[in-house]
Order: sequence, then structure tokens, then C-alpha cells
Amino acid sequence: MKKACKCAVAAAIIAFLVYNSIYFENLEDIKQQQRRETFNAAEYARDFWDNQLFSVLDQAVDVKELIELFNTNMNEAIKRYGKAPGVSRIYAYLINGNGTILTIAEDFLEISIREPQINPDIKITTGFYIPGNAVRDASGLIDVSEFSDTMKFNEISGEINKIVVKEVIRPFLDKKPQVGKTIRFLGATQVAQDATEETKFQVVEVVPIRLDLE
Amino acid sequence: MARRLLLFITVILLLTLLTFACKQKRKEQVDNEESEGKGKIAVVISTLNNPWFVVLGNTAKERAEQLGYEATIFDSQNDTAKESDHFENIIAGGYVAILFNPTDADGSIANVRKAKEADVPTFCIDREINANDVAVTQILSDNYTGCVELGQYFVKKMNRKGTYVELLGILGDNNTWNRSKGFHSVVDNYPELKMVSQQTAEFDRTKAMEVLESILQAHPQIDAVFCGNDAMAMGAYQALVAAGKADKVMVFGFDGAKDVIDSIHDGKIIATGMQFPKKMARMAAEQADEYIKGRRDFPQKVPVAVELVTEENVAKYTAYGRRSEQ
Repeated sequence: MKKACKCAVAAAIIAFLVYNSIYFENLEDIKQQQRRETFNAAEYARDFWDNQLFSVLDQAVDVKELIELFNTNMNEAIKRYGKAPGVSRIYAYLINGNGTILTIAEDFLEISIREPQINPDIKITTGFYIPGNAVRDASGLIDVSEFSDTMKFNEISGEINKIVVKEVIRPFLDKKPQVGKTIRFLGATQVAQDATEETKFQVVEVVPIRLDLE
Repeated sequence: MARRLLLFITVILLLTLLTFACKQKRKEQVDNEESEGKGKIAVVISTLNNPWFVVLGNTAKERAEQLGYEATIFDSQNDTAKESDHFENIIAGGYVAILFNPTDADGSIANVRKAKEADVPTFCIDREINANDVAVTQILSDNYTGCVELGQYFVKKMNRKGTYVELLGILGDNNTWNRSKGFHSVVDNYPELKMVSQQTAEFDRTKAMEVLESILQAHPQIDAVFCGNDAMAMGAYQALVAAGKADKVMVFGFDGAKDVIDSIHDGKIIATGMQFPKKMARMAAEQADEYIKGRRDFPQKVPVAVELVTEENVAKYTAYGRRSEQ
């Protein structure tokens, strides 16, 4: 009887210890976690640029039409063309158009898209680095909810911007653009929903995705 | 001896039965509350030692009460062990949802998972957890993008050159690094902007004052201090006043707290990133209500844009939000 009791107690203690020291996890969950840990933002951005972005470029809206809409009905512009990854007063847009170079500065080109070509309508970023998320957000292709932490989502934006500098801006600047020349552009811009509350919309700042001299 | 052993086994068996009974009772409590009234919502806040989080917690509580729930605030005091205790009590206490401001992006995951396993939905506010399959949704300040904008303004005010100090928040919090990396993604592109010291002050005003006082001993000639939150910005400003340097060193914060908005207005602080704690807290309470009513299609992460507040536009803002939205 004593022996049986001892065995039962030992079994209970062992069961208690084992239960509290071992836990089981789904193997697929572990693999998924490992995949997340090996995330490479540069590779993700490269795949986005080479294989995904082109699929939405035909959604780019004519910049003249968009500026007109900003000034007449901002809510309609947001509804039709604006994209934001969460809750924001700033929306991103894919735009295209052509215009005449008015100014070539260190970090940007000023472009006029209408006659008379006196005041700039567009400012195209041409600096050595690009801040912000215009291309990522305007594409609408990357969902923040895919990522276990938002830093990865942000790193992708940084890597996309590096591609823009290396593969769009530098080759374009190598062509030695000059004031008075016509350029064709497709790019991304971000505009606050209250941008036209006090004055009419002035200049659209564009992060280029495609830039060509005509 | 045999009787003692039998007694011991009996106690173990009773404890096991008691555990099952408690779980069953909690389930019944939840079922009863759902059928009788709207039930209780827990608001778990990382720390109430910072006015910004007090606003976050109080707004979540008020909105939950407006929606017909009984709401209680739990203060984790930036301690994951305390946070874990709160979750145990919340699960056992029959709460129907948790509005959760996590203490640690990794360390808090287990708590949310525990709640999920007990069928208590969790809605993260402001701070995220590094998992996208345990909380119902995470309503997060877009800290990185906010600090990109702040970094651009910093470069402009510094005229692209000078020395500065960075005060970091809690090292285990993603917000700390999202803010720091957003800021550096801009500022590090200017080689004449040199960071002479980067130290944590754990989002705490007093610690920020002490840390900056110590840094000023070694680097008395700095031009600016970038702080990961407004509490630290106010602490840094106090240290600069004490050192007689408040007029020479620019201070940048992040949050949109009342004292910093007032200080920007008075020209004492240069800029901050306005987060929207009231908006996020209300959203979390409303989404919890929708979840309880049956909605399930929530995006896992919802970034809420941060807005740059400077002397040029401070008139549009008040503490913790835009004047037009108060």
C-alpha cells in the first residue's frame, strides 16, 4: 500500500513538473516566425520594384486633372485616387504628365505643366536621398498588417527610395537635363486633405518612378 | 504516513478540479454578462507616470463607458510582470475585452496570447506587439514617418550642421526605435550633423533631466537635443535652463503633450510630433464594441499618422490633438 502511494505521489509530482516545464507549439508557426526573422527589406523592395509595381502604374492619374480636382473637390480626389495605409490626413497618389523644366536645383527640378510657363506646378525630387513613403503608399500594394512589426514596413520604404535614387534619378541626371527641355514623368506624391483649405493648390512634389527627356 | 500521502494526492486532485471549476465559472460569467448587459472592459496602460498615457487610458475608459461598458484602468508601471498579473486577473475577472497599451513589444505577446486563448479579445493602442496573429487589431502611431518629418525640420533648423544629443525611450519598446530610425533616416544623410551622445532616459522627465545634465558635463557645446518623447523634452529643457543654455540649444520632442505645445507657443521647444492619443483610444473602444457585436474583419495593424507641430502651425493644435477635432 505504502509503495503504491509513493508511486502515485511520484507520478503526480513528475506529471506536474513535466506539464509545467514542457509546452508544444505548431511547427508551421515556428517556421513562419523564422521566416519573419530572416526578413530582408532590400530583397522585398527589389521584388516590389521588379515584379509588382508595374502592375499599378497604369492607374497613374494625369497631374493636371488631379491638381484641378484638388482645387475643386478634395474629397473626390481622395475617394477616386488617394491611398493611405491607415488613419491619416495625408494621401498618396500615382501621377503622370509632362512639362518644361524651369529650374534645376541641387535637390529638385521645377516643372511647368501649362502655358504660360512662368510658375512651377511640379517639383520633382532629384536629391541624393528621399525621405518618406510616397512610392510605397501610392502603389497600395504593401499591407502593413502583413508584418509582425512595423519597422519592417518602414525599412521597405527606405529601400524603395534607394532604388529610386540609384535607378531613376541618377541615370536621368546623367542625361544632363537643361532648363527649357521637356520631360515626361510618372511618380508618386503625398498631399494633405486640408492642403487647399486656405489657398489654391500650388506645387505638387513628386518622387519619380519614371523620368524621360523628350 | 500513508494517510498523509493520500491527503497530499487528494489536495492535488482538488486543486486541479478547482482550476477547472474557476475556468468554467469565468466562461459562465462572460456568457451571463453578454446576455444580461455589455460587461466589463479592461484598459491596461504601460505606465500612468506620464500624462500622455493618462490621457490615453482615461479616454479609452470614458469611451468604453459611453458605449455602455463598465471600464477599469490597470497600470502596468512599465513592468511586464505586473502586466502579466493584470492579464491573469482580467481573464479570471470575466472582462469581455482588453484595450491594451503594451509595455514591451516582445514581452507582452504572451499576455495577449493568454487572453486570446481565454476568448478575451485584445485591442492594442499606440504601442505594438511583434506579432500579427494574437491581438484583434493594433491601432498604432506612425512613429517612423512622424520622425522622418521631424528629422527634415531638424535639418532645416540646424542649417544642415552642428552637434546634437539624442535621448531614447525604453529600449524594449518598438516606438523608441521607430522614432529613432525615422529621425536618423533623414539626419544621417548630413555628415556635418554630428550626434555626440545617444542615451536612454526611458521616456521619463526626471531621468531625461539627469541624463542630459551628465551629458552636458562632457559635451557643453551642443546645438540641439532630439528627445523620443515630450516628457523627456521637458526634462531636457529643465536641464538646459539649469545650465544656462536654454536659449542656445534647440529641443525637439515627440507626443504632442500639453506642456510641450505650450512651450512651442512660448518659443521654448522647437517642434514635436503630434500623436493622437484620444483618437486612438476612442477607436480602440469603438472597435472592441464592434467586435463584441460580431464584427470580425479588422485590419491587424492600423497606423495613425503623426503630424509635425512647429511655431509656424502650433495655433492649429492643442494638447493631444488638433483644435478642430477636440
